[in-house]
Amino acid sequence: MEKKIDSSGEKKLKCGDVSKCFQLLESILDGEDKDASKEVLKEKLSKCQPCFEHYHLEQAIREVLKNKCTKQSVPGELANSIRQKIEDIK
Amino acid sequence: MSEVQKKKYSDKEKNNIFDHEFMPHIDSMYNFAFRLTFDEDDAKDLVQDTYLKAYRFINSFEQGTNAKAWLFRILKNSFINEYRKKSKQPSKVDYQEVETYYNSDSVDYNITSDLRIDAVKDMLGDEISNALNSLAVDFRTVIILCDLEGFTYEEMAKILDIPIGTVRSRLHRARNLLKEKLHSYAKNMGYDTEEE
Repeated sequence: MEKKIDSSGEKKLKCGDVSKCFQLLESILDGEDKDASKEVLKEKLSKCQPCFEHYHLEQAIREVLKNKCTKQSVPGELANSIRQKIEDIK
Repeated sequence: MSEVQKKKYSDKEKNNIFDHEFMPHIDSMYNFAFRLTFDEDDAKDLVQDTYLKAYRFINSFEQGTNAKAWLFRILKNSFINEYRKKSKQPSKVDYQEVETYYNSDSVDYNITSDLRIDAVKDMLGDEISNALNSLAVDFRTVIILCDLEGFTYEEMAKILDIPIGTVRSRLHRARNLLKEKLHSYAKNMGYDTEEE
């Protein structure tokens, strides 16, 4: 997040096409829209306040999910028990 | 997957695939299983069953394709067929309630959230985890696959046997539901959720 949210006249306060924009932003965040260049994204976010906010909120949510929900520790004996069972059916 | 398979791999190749392509995903598999079942023993059984099936049907695995997606698909199917019935999942009523809500590909993107970024960033692991766990299983699943495991929409479509359009819309709805949960946590944490 290189830019601070500012409410100067630079940014539109209402997005012209929320549906299309938000769908595009979410695709970009999910890595589905690889053709969308960084420049286009930057330009878009610098001009539209709702898009800017949506993008950064969605990005923050993805980050906390990834960082805080993947640390389930696997029971130590599980891998061995699987290997043992495989040996048995071989 | 049929019981009658042509023998594609030698025993040595089988072991090699199993050790180098299947076993490295055990952490992700267990995390997925635990978030589906909410029970350590059920999660262990589910992961173990998945690996046994994977070994049994190893000849239908194409080397060079995505082993993790292949394993996740087996795990998801095992869960639906064997565990969903007995685990403490939302009742049928809950399920049907969401079903009409999500079984269309058109999504309203106009719902904006007044959840604030700094509130999200300050969420504790337990809060975000509880919010995720509180979602109905189909919504929870797409978030796990996409955000925790990094699958593409196309891989998710294959794992879940649904069209890509449905993946996209279900994911969007799942995130909106998650935001609602997080928003109420944020309020409880004392975050001012009004505009500055």
